Amino acid sequence: MENNLVYSSSPHIKAPRSTRQIMIDVCIALLPATLAGIIFFGAYAALLVALAVIFAVIGEFVYLLIVGKPFREIAKNFDFSSVVTGLLIGLTIGTNYPWYAPIFGSMFAVIAVKMLFGGTGKNVVNPAITGRVFIFISFQWAVGAWALPNIGSIYGDTVITSATAVPTVAEGVVPKIRLLDMFLGTGMQGCIGETCKIALIIGGIYLAARRIINILYPTICIAVAGIMTVAIGGFDFALFLPAVLSGGLVLGAIFMATDYVTTPNTKLGNIIYFIALGILTAVLRYATKMETVSFAILLMNLTVPLIDKFIIQKPFGHFKVKKTKGEK
Amino acid sequence: MKTNFRKIAKDGLISSNPTLKLVLGTCPTLALTTAAMNGIGMGLAVTFVLICSNVIISLLRRAIPKQVRIPAFILIIATFVTVVRLALDYFLPDIYDSLGLYLPLIVVNCIILARAESFASKNGVLASAADGLFMGVGFTLALTLMGAVREILGSGAVFGYKLWDFSIGFFSSSAGAFFTYAVFIALFALITDKAAERAKRKKAKPLNDGFIDDGKEAQ
Repeated sequence: MENNLVYSSSPHIKAPRSTRQIMIDVCIALLPATLAGIIFFGAYAALLVALAVIFAVIGEFVYLLIVGKPFREIAKNFDFSSVVTGLLIGLTIGTNYPWYAPIFGSMFAVIAVKMLFGGTGKNVVNPAITGRVFIFISFQWAVGAWALPNIGSIYGDTVITSATAVPTVAEGVVPKIRLLDMFLGTGMQGCIGETCKIALIIGGIYLAARRIINILYPTICIAVAGIMTVAIGGFDFALFLPAVLSGGLVLGAIFMATDYVTTPNTKLGNIIYFIALGILTAVLRYATKMETVSFAILLMNLTVPLIDKFIIQKPFGHFKVKKTKGEK
Repeated sequence: MKTNFRKIAKDGLISSNPTLKLVLGTCPTLALTTAAMNGIGMGLAVTFVLICSNVIISLLRRAIPKQVRIPAFILIIATFVTVVRLALDYFLPDIYDSLGLYLPLIVVNCIILARAESFASKNGVLASAADGLFMGVGFTLALTLMGAVREILGSGAVFGYKLWDFSIGFFSSSAGAFFTYAVFIALFALITDKAAERAKRKKAKPLNDGFIDDGKEAQ
């Protein structure tokens, strides 16, 4: 370390919070959902999540070693963002996927989407989302039927799947699932981390309490998606809760759409972004009759530079200069 | 004027490879490279049209008025595209079907128009024919390689011959086409840059600062 000075433009704020600290907090926030997923879907779910995380980290290290960074420096600057990427990829696939799917997804997400664009903070789209979409496109042929969770419905009767809840709601039909089941994830089929909404919400509250995300934004997104579904379904308000609780909307809105890098910089920009995300999710769900949260987030990520271009933060101390008469 | 065929060959295959250096004709490159066979078919069709149109345009280069050269070029190219289409439809209907719309679209393929405009209309017949041949071969090689990679990864086969049941569907999709294309361009640039650097180093005379460590190099 011959160079201890950091050159940057103003503002010169020294914050105690580092990228690593934030990423570790996100990992902690994802723990309840991960645990719930492993309890519901068993050891195979744990294997998928572990493979996704391990290979995301390996991908980052391999790339940095190839471009000639010394190992010690990589380990010292390791910021856990690839752990978050891997964890999210593991949680957004189901146990019906083959074991090698998360390996390819994580490697693609970290190397092609993040590192090739310059590493953490320089990626154009969210790596975890892209990894999930990559897996979704690539391994359709190897995907079996959705696995049933180990814990059945708390009412102790028949299981109706979450996987079919999204298209049902999209067609404007209220699915015959108890909302409490949807909320707890009991007896629900789906991706490893998305079925247990209460675990996700606990994680979201933790992030909000640590002031890592603004809880307003995911709430806007989820509410708008629900309202839009209601509007498309002919103003049948019984659709609101099933639309909100089915599929990966809660997971996507809290953990994936709120990524700092791929959201606008301003408050107004963020509100526009999350409203558009909610509308897009509902419309795409209606159009394709399948879960589209990840595609909606991917599309909205691409609009962020546009939003940032038109909605600019007012500089501190800025005021409008009144035009005086006679001045040209 | 003596024509430098070595330079023409090097231009067409490497230093201004139409697909990987000039990034021309991207539409068939992206759409047709799902299989290696498509790449060969498309490449050879383009090569044929390129050679013929280059020869004719080179012959007529003093007869075509400057102001109407583009319509004239297009007319000549369209003639040979029609020839290729009818011939393929009759002799190789399978390839004709798999190339589909992209066969008539050769008319507006940038490579052919670019070579007509920048080479054939300024050079002699023999040089133009050689340019068409090597440009076409460069295009064919790039398309076939890309097609082979995408076919192996995307459908676990090569030239239609099934290798294994494993496949990554991403590489068959259009997103995979862009991704593969970008990786190819990046790798090609890396290789050619490294080669150029090495050639430069070889050419450069060793510094004679009173210290000669190797008698051979100092000659």
